[in-house]
Amino acid sequence: MHETAQLDQDVPMDDLKDEDLYAALLHEMKNNLVLMAITMDQVPRTGAPDHDQPLNEARRLCQRVSERLMQALMIYKSNVGGLILNAMDAYSPEDFVAEMAIQARYLQTPLQVDTVVEEGVPSLWFFDRNMLELALVNAVHNSISYARSRVVIRARMDGDMLCISVEDDSDGYPAHILKAVAENKPLTSNGTGLGLRFANLIARAHTKNGTCGALSLRNDNGSVFEMRVP
Amino acid sequence: MTDQIDFKSKRALVIDDFPGMRTAFKAALASFGMSRVDLAASGDEALMRVKNTKYDIIISDYNLGDAKDGQQVLEEMRYRKLITLGTVYLMVTAESVYERVVAAAELAPDDYLIKPFNGEILRNRLEAILVKKQAFREVHKSFANGDLERALSECNVVIKTNPKCLVDAMRLKGEILIAMGDLQAAGELYSEISAMRAVPWSRLGLAKTLHLQRKEEEAEEVLSVVLENHPGLVAAYDLLADVQLAQNRSMDAQATLTRATQVSAKSARRQRRLGEVAYQNKDLKTAESAFKGAIEKGRYSVFANPNDVGSLARVYLEQDQPRAAGEVLIANAKQLAENDEGKLVNLVVKSALSSKNGNQREAQALVQEALRLRKAAGGRCSPDLAMDMVQVCVGLGMEQEAGQLLEEVASNAHDSTDLLNRAKDIYRDAGKESVAQTILQKATGKVAQLSKQGALLMQAGDLVQGADLLKKASEAAPRNPRVLMNAVWATLRLIAQHGNSGGRLGNAKRMLGDAAELAPDHPRLAELRSAMREVEKRLKAPELNVACVE
Repeated sequence: MHETAQLDQDVPMDDLKDEDLYAALLHEMKNNLVLMAITMDQVPRTGAPDHDQPLNEARRLCQRVSERLMQALMIYKSNVGGLILNAMDAYSPEDFVAEMAIQARYLQTPLQVDTVVEEGVPSLWFFDRNMLELALVNAVHNSISYARSRVVIRARMDGDMLCISVEDDSDGYPAHILKAVAENKPLTSNGTGLGLRFANLIARAHTKNGTCGALSLRNDNGSVFEMRVP
Repeated sequence: MTDQIDFKSKRALVIDDFPGMRTAFKAALASFGMSRVDLAASGDEALMRVKNTKYDIIISDYNLGDAKDGQQVLEEMRYRKLITLGTVYLMVTAESVYERVVAAAELAPDDYLIKPFNGEILRNRLEAILVKKQAFREVHKSFANGDLERALSECNVVIKTNPKCLVDAMRLKGEILIAMGDLQAAGELYSEISAMRAVPWSRLGLAKTLHLQRKEEEAEEVLSVVLENHPGLVAAYDLLADVQLAQNRSMDAQATLTRATQVSAKSARRQRRLGEVAYQNKDLKTAESAFKGAIEKGRYSVFANPNDVGSLARVYLEQDQPRAAGEVLIANAKQLAENDEGKLVNLVVKSALSSKNGNQREAQALVQEALRLRKAAGGRCSPDLAMDMVQVCVGLGMEQEAGQLLEEVASNAHDSTDLLNRAKDIYRDAGKESVAQTILQKATGKVAQLSKQGALLMQAGDLVQGADLLKKASEAAPRNPRVLMNAVWATLRLIAQHGNSGGRLGNAKRMLGDAAELAPDHPRLAELRSAMREVEKRLKAPELNVACVE
């Protein structure tokens, strides 16, 4: 099949260990999901709720499953060879939060999506934009699922760190999740754990002079998901 | 983020081996008004299209199946000047290979887009790149025209006025400064960026500057830190090998290049270099596999070089495997028939094979033809291949032909120990060591003496005599880039002191041009170009013009 040519290229199939085989399988499933999402994008919206709503829901689901698979793959990879951010470069935090908002609005949410860039945030900051985006987009999608009316994507400075947060007006995180993240313990119950582990991995891979980034969660009239990068 | 980009007027090329993705890209681009979109299923198809059509935007998947990947396509397009710095090149990758792809890139695309993505993100990224291209338009234009001074001043304008583009502008400024030969300023700039953040490219720029300043130990220190933190960064290995070779540590360089090919085996140029270094180290097994790799990776690309076939055949012959050498010729017959360089390789290897098989008459006819072809092509051929011809001639007792050719090659390589040693070995094996001594003495003695005396006179401050001797040396060794560059350096100093008379500046320019053609990547070129510009500037200044009239 042609799609398999899209898979992890440089590994000859004969040399695959069991774990690699699972990784390749995850990869293939993810690629097929991408194609499914693209195919669904070609279905025009009619404006009729009984048509558009299930379509939007299906797209969201598709996105969520492919995100999960991606996270599983990345976590697997980081266990095998460590995660090294070769693509660290200077990016505009302002453009970054704007792009996160585009990611949120793309899912046709009825919620209000706002961006805030607080005073003191520099024009440029060094981070691995694509990786940080992968970690945060998951939080954005979570907020879209739970928020009542509003999602805010914010950039601010916290000491020497740039802090990007995703905030909503939901009921907030359950206590056991807050506790697990604060104590840096793995969550195993459901998919959320995977997303958090992934975000934690990405945050900590951002290092500068011995300091590394961090993930934190808190409740403040809703849930606040924060990634700090030095 | 901006609404100033008019996508309707842009023309795009999408490269993806998967039809579903091509269609999806076309639909996504159409959704924001781009209707002039061409599709290519492979890198080669894309290269064909780019040859005939000017695109504003190229979007390529990194993985294009078994053939060339998106990075190789980008490098080939840039190398062949099919696209300019103004052309947008967006690389699309899967997240699982993203960091590896970034580390292996010798030439950075404008951005990486991770799959899966949606049309809105695609639009946002393209917009951001186009806005940036707009900001750098004057810099790119001047850089492409070779007006480095102007490129530098335009770059400084961006640095002062455009905070979002600051780091990109600093990065480009570093490249401009290196091209200008202003290594001091380049080094300071890279240190400044590295102090902001030790991003891989800034450390790499710093190491390159140190290497060009011949501060090899410092360069190596920077590179070892880079590689410790980013073991996948292929360009760092390449540079480290340069640094090690500059210190005559060819064994270390071989180990470094071996590691580089383990990280990324795709580059024909890297495999070729490994082959050359391994051959120099007399590690024929490694040389064999590296030259094989160079031939395979270079196939159908602009980086193919028929001399790789000659090198591999040479390695086989030295291992007493004539059959394998013959097979290499057959397997690459088509490529070898394409140009004079290839035809020459074919003739030389065939003559060596005939000679080895005891078919003297055939060998003689073949090598005669090779000698004729070489002469007809203006004496252009790789020194190693010329030495192969010397070897065949010596073996066949064609003393006169061998002697003439060796003299010509050696006079242009009085400072290439490896090559001269190989000549001695060839004659020693034929029991004619003293003949080689005589020829080499005659060929290299004059150049070596002129070079040495010229340098001493320059040191003593006798610029007129010193420059004259170094120019004479370059006339005796017109194909030795190092001798040519010494003559350029001396002539420029002479002009600075005594003005431009007797066509000195013209001579210096011609010699520098010749040197650049012979050794386009030589670290000293930038420095000399910078000195040349400096001298020209001073000649143009009115008050100096008066002083310069002799």
